[in-house]
Amino acid sequence: MHFGVITMLALRNLRRNLRRTILTATAFIIGGALLTFAQTFGDGTHEQWIDSGVRTGSGHVTVEVPEFRVSRKIEDRLPGGTLQLVRKAVESSAAADRVTDVFYRLTINGLATSASGARPAQILGVDPTIEASLSPLDEQVVEGRYLKKDDRLAAFVGAGLVDALDLRIGSRLVVMAQDAHKEVAGQLVRVVGIFRTGIAELDDSVIHVPIATAGEWLGTGRDLTNVGVMVDSSVAVPGLVRHLRRELAEPIAKGDATVMGWREAMPSLHAAVLVDEWGGYLMLGILFVIVGFSIINTVLMSVLHRHREFGVLQALGLTPRQTASVVLVEGLLQTVVCALIGVGVGLAITAAFSGGIDISELYNDQEMQFSGVAIDPVIVPMVTPVRILYILGFMMFVGIVSSVYPAMRAATIDVTESMKFER
Amino acid sequence: MSESNGYAVRTAGVWKIFQQEAEEVQAVRDVSLTIERGEFTALAGPSGSGKTTLLNLIGGLTRPTRGEIWVAGSELGALSNRELAQLRLEEVGFVFQAYNLLPVLSALENAEFPMLLQGTPAAERAARVQELFERTGMTGLEDRRPGKLSGGQQQRVAVVRAVASQPALVLADEPTANLDSHASEALLDMMAELNRELGVTFVFATHDGHVMERSRRLVRMVDGAIDSDETRS
Repeated sequence: MHFGVITMLALRNLRRNLRRTILTATAFIIGGALLTFAQTFGDGTHEQWIDSGVRTGSGHVTVEVPEFRVSRKIEDRLPGGTLQLVRKAVESSAAADRVTDVFYRLTINGLATSASGARPAQILGVDPTIEASLSPLDEQVVEGRYLKKDDRLAAFVGAGLVDALDLRIGSRLVVMAQDAHKEVAGQLVRVVGIFRTGIAELDDSVIHVPIATAGEWLGTGRDLTNVGVMVDSSVAVPGLVRHLRRELAEPIAKGDATVMGWREAMPSLHAAVLVDEWGGYLMLGILFVIVGFSIINTVLMSVLHRHREFGVLQALGLTPRQTASVVLVEGLLQTVVCALIGVGVGLAITAAFSGGIDISELYNDQEMQFSGVAIDPVIVPMVTPVRILYILGFMMFVGIVSSVYPAMRAATIDVTESMKFER
Repeated sequence: MSESNGYAVRTAGVWKIFQQEAEEVQAVRDVSLTIERGEFTALAGPSGSGKTTLLNLIGGLTRPTRGEIWVAGSELGALSNRELAQLRLEEVGFVFQAYNLLPVLSALENAEFPMLLQGTPAAERAARVQELFERTGMTGLEDRRPGKLSGGQQQRVAVVRAVASQPALVLADEPTANLDSHASEALLDMMAELNRELGVTFVFATHDGHVMERSRRLVRMVDGAIDSDETRS
C-alpha cells in the first residue's frame, strides 16, 4: 500500500502549502475549540439542571415501589429494611467511589389545614440532617430556619402555602393524609421555617416534617416511600442503576421495589435536557458543515492545482486508489492534529472558566427555574472523557468526509491529459 | 497472455481512437511494432502524428481502442488497473518533456522514488542513485528541490529516476524539447551511455532532428500510422 511513502508525500505537501495549511488548520482549530467549550459548557448547564432537579426531587437514582410514582399512596411504600439493602449495595466497591449521599423520605399527598382554611399539600417526611446537606430548599429560607435533628412537631413550609393558610413562624398547622390503616389521620405541627424558591409548584404545596414524626403519624414506623442515591456526576447513573438492579434483584422480581435513574424518575427534566442538547448539536452541526465546506474547498483547490503531480504518481506506479489516499492522508493528518489542538484549546478555555460562569444577568437577576426546578445561575463547565472522544471522533469524521470528494477527483484524473496540463 | 521476453515491446494492430465532440480522431492507426531489448529507438513525426499517444499506450497510461500491446512479456489488455500500475512500477521508466519531478522531494528523493515504491532497501537505493548521479554529473545536487535545479539538471534527475529502478524499458517523450542545445547534447550522451553500458532500452517520441540522428532505429509516424522504420548501424 506504500503507506510510508504516501504519508511522507502528504506531510511534505502540507508543509509545501504552508499558508493554505495554516488557514484550513486555523478554521478547524477554532471550530474544535468552540465545539469543545460549547459542549463542556452545555454539559455543565445540563449537569446543573440535573443536580438541582435530583436534589429537589428523588435523587440521581431512586428506589421505590413500582406503583408509588403514580399512586403516591402510603400503601405503596418500601419496608424499612430496604434502606439497609440499598446502603449495603452502594457501599460495595462497585459503587462506593461515585456515591456521595443516600437519603430517604416518606412522601405523601395530603391536606394542610389551619384556622384560615385547607390546601392540598405534598408532605415530605425527611431526615433533617441529611436533607439540610442535600436539598436546595434549606438555602431558600425567608423566615425562621430549616428543620433540626431533634425537631419533632416542626414543619418547614413553602411561602405560598403560608400565605394561603395565613401562617407565620410558630403557627400551628394540621397535616392530614390517609395512614397505613387506610384511615384519615391528622398531625399537629408548628411552623419553624418558611422557604421561597419562586417556583409556585414548590412554594404553594411542599411541607417538610421530620421523618420520625411522619412515621408515627401515618403508622408506618420506619418504612419509607423512596430511597434516593446521589452520585458525584450524572454520568455514573446508568452504571449505578445496573448495579442496584443486580443487588436488589429479589425485591424487584417480587414487584416490591424498582430502581430508576433520574431520566425515568423525572422524564420532563430528561426531555428538557435532550431538547437543549439536540438544539446545541444542530447549531454545532451547522457550524461544522460550514467548516467542512471550507475544507472541501481548500483541499479541492489544492487537488486541482496538482493534476500533473497526481498524473506523475500514477505514471510512476501508484494506483488511482493510492493516489486518492495521498489526498485522504493529507486530510486525515491535518484533521487529527487540528482536532487535538482544537480540543486542547477548548479545554484550556474550559479550564479558564472552571470556577463557573455566572449567567444570572441574562435573567435580570430573577430566580432561574427550569422544568419546575430552581437552577443555580453559576454554570460550571463539565468535562467528561466520553464527550471529548465524541468531539474528536466528530471532528475527524468531518475532516475525512471533507477530503473524500477531492480524493475521488485525484483518483479519477486522466493521466495522459494531466501530463499535458501546464501550470 | 505472456509472450517471449526477447523483446521489450511488441504491438500488434494497435488503434487508438478519440471521440472529440461529433468527430472521431484516429490518433494511432494499426501500429504493429517490435522493439528488442537494448534498442535506442526514436518515434519521429510532426505534431499530431500519434507518437506521444503510442508512447502512452506502450507505457500503459491509456488503453488501446483495438489491438494488443506486450511489454516485458505481459499483454497490457489482460491486466487490471492495479496490475498495470505494478507493471509501470517494475518495468517502465518515464521521462517527460516537462521533467515532471515531484516538487516536494529533493533530487535524490525524486530519483529514488520508484525504488521506494518497489520496496528496495535504502542502502541499495542510495548506491544505485549515487552511481547514476556520478555518471550524469549530478553529484552535489542531491538535496536540491526541483525548483532549485536548471531544466537540464531536472531532466537528468528524471532520467536517473527512470533508469535507477532497472526497468525493461524507458519511454521518453520529447526529453530534449525544453533544453538548450548544449544541455540537450549532454542528456543524449548520458542516455546513450546508459543504453550502451547498462543495456537500458530507450524509446523516444521526438521531432528533434538531433535526437533522430543519435537514435539507432528511427520509426517515422504520419497521421497515426508508421510511415517508415529504419535501423542504422
